[in-house]
Amino acid sequence: MGAVALAITAAFLVPGPVAGQSGSSGAKTYTAPRTPDGQPDLEGIWSNATLTPLERPAELAGKQFFTEEEAAEYEKRILERNNADRRDNQGTDADVALAYNDSWYDRGTKIVPTRRTSLIIDPPDGRIPPLTPEAQKKDALRAEARSKRGPADSWEDRNLGERCLTRGVPKLPSGYNNNFLIVQTPGYVAILQEMIHEVRVIPLDGLPHIAKNIRQWLGDSRGHWEGNTLVVDTTNFRDEVRFTPYNCCGGAGENLHLIERFTRVDANTIDYQYTVDDPARFTRSWTVAVPLTKAPGPIYEYACHEGNYGMAGILAGARAEEKAAAEKEAAKNASR
Amino acid sequence: MRTKLAVVVAGFGLLLSAVPVWAHHSFAAEFDAKKPVNLRGKITKMEWINPHAWIHMDVTGPDGKVVNWMIEAGTPNTLFRRGFTKDSLAVGTEIVVDGYQAKDGSNRANGRDVTFPDGRKLFLGSSGTGAPYDNDPNAK
Repeated sequence: MGAVALAITAAFLVPGPVAGQSGSSGAKTYTAPRTPDGQPDLEGIWSNATLTPLERPAELAGKQFFTEEEAAEYEKRILERNNADRRDNQGTDADVALAYNDSWYDRGTKIVPTRRTSLIIDPPDGRIPPLTPEAQKKDALRAEARSKRGPADSWEDRNLGERCLTRGVPKLPSGYNNNFLIVQTPGYVAILQEMIHEVRVIPLDGLPHIAKNIRQWLGDSRGHWEGNTLVVDTTNFRDEVRFTPYNCCGGAGENLHLIERFTRVDANTIDYQYTVDDPARFTRSWTVAVPLTKAPGPIYEYACHEGNYGMAGILAGARAEEKAAAEKEAAKNASR
Repeated sequence: MRTKLAVVVAGFGLLLSAVPVWAHHSFAAEFDAKKPVNLRGKITKMEWINPHAWIHMDVTGPDGKVVNWMIEAGTPNTLFRRGFTKDSLAVGTEIVVDGYQAKDGSNRANGRDVTFPDGRKLFLGSSGTGAPYDNDPNAK
């Protein structure tokens, strides 16, 4: 009997990081400051830079959290791997893809404070849930259609980021400019995403979503407060958001229903979580937690179209490769 | 404990072999891995623009002919946040660019590794974001 009681007690005591997904020990006692109109204050410049991957790598299956020692080792290894000043693969596409020196990158240096091994917190395996048979069929048809085109027949074959259209909502951490500016006014919350200078204006008026036939790159967001948590409900995405390069939502498109939660848990942290709800695509909904950490700023404009010479370079590169292939083919035929 | 850690860390090997691709667009689609270039010359113009800055430079060939090259770099935002400004790299500064030429054969390349002639890297700085938990190892 005593042993059973002990086991039950022990079950409630372990492990520390599971208790609070925010990872902040002050979450229970902290009271967020208020804006002049009385909303919990989320204003400021925040960063979501982290080394934690969206999905738990297969090598870490079954391991939800790192110990402190493992976390330090993991961070060291990932920083070594990411260091673009390394030139291990000279003369390969992998070396070209690293683009430029490491000083241009700004990815953060730490995993999330919970030491979780994935940003996905639900399901517990840290992976995007399996697709429905219907979604698998759709993806296969799309892949077949895509295979009939070259990598850059048109700018429309390139992803939405390269085209400077959108980095998507929510914007997951990437190589640099992982910054967000939050501004609150009575009735609205606005979020500026530094990449790629996109602004979400979220009304808190309680009105329903816009008509279903109106589709937007950032969807249609409506917010409301549940205690100290700002809950934002977003629908009406354009189907093409499936092609965002840092895919927040597992290839979800027009049926994506996104539920985001922002809770300020201490002076320097917003516990940010989002749930992807798309029953047509996934066999269950799933939830991601990416803390937003106070960043010193300033935040800068990222006028993506201003100098996107890269797109012209990609298309010109594809034409040059086609020409070279055609010449090779012609030479082969001539020598027959 | 040490053994257990070694086992866990060894498991990272596979994941570490993957190469991250994080630039705004695919550099591998724009530049040719089979056309490495090493250019030494003086900066004629800096375009501090997004999504990527471009360094223009004059390169004198073995025949004495001067050719202007355009070198693609990263986002200016990162450098501005670290205190660099548009005056940090003056016209006339001599640099060495190791990179890959554009697939279409034009005089454009990526600045895969850009240094001063003495080997110092341009814009060398901290890799942190300056965010509280990035700076304070105890603030987890």
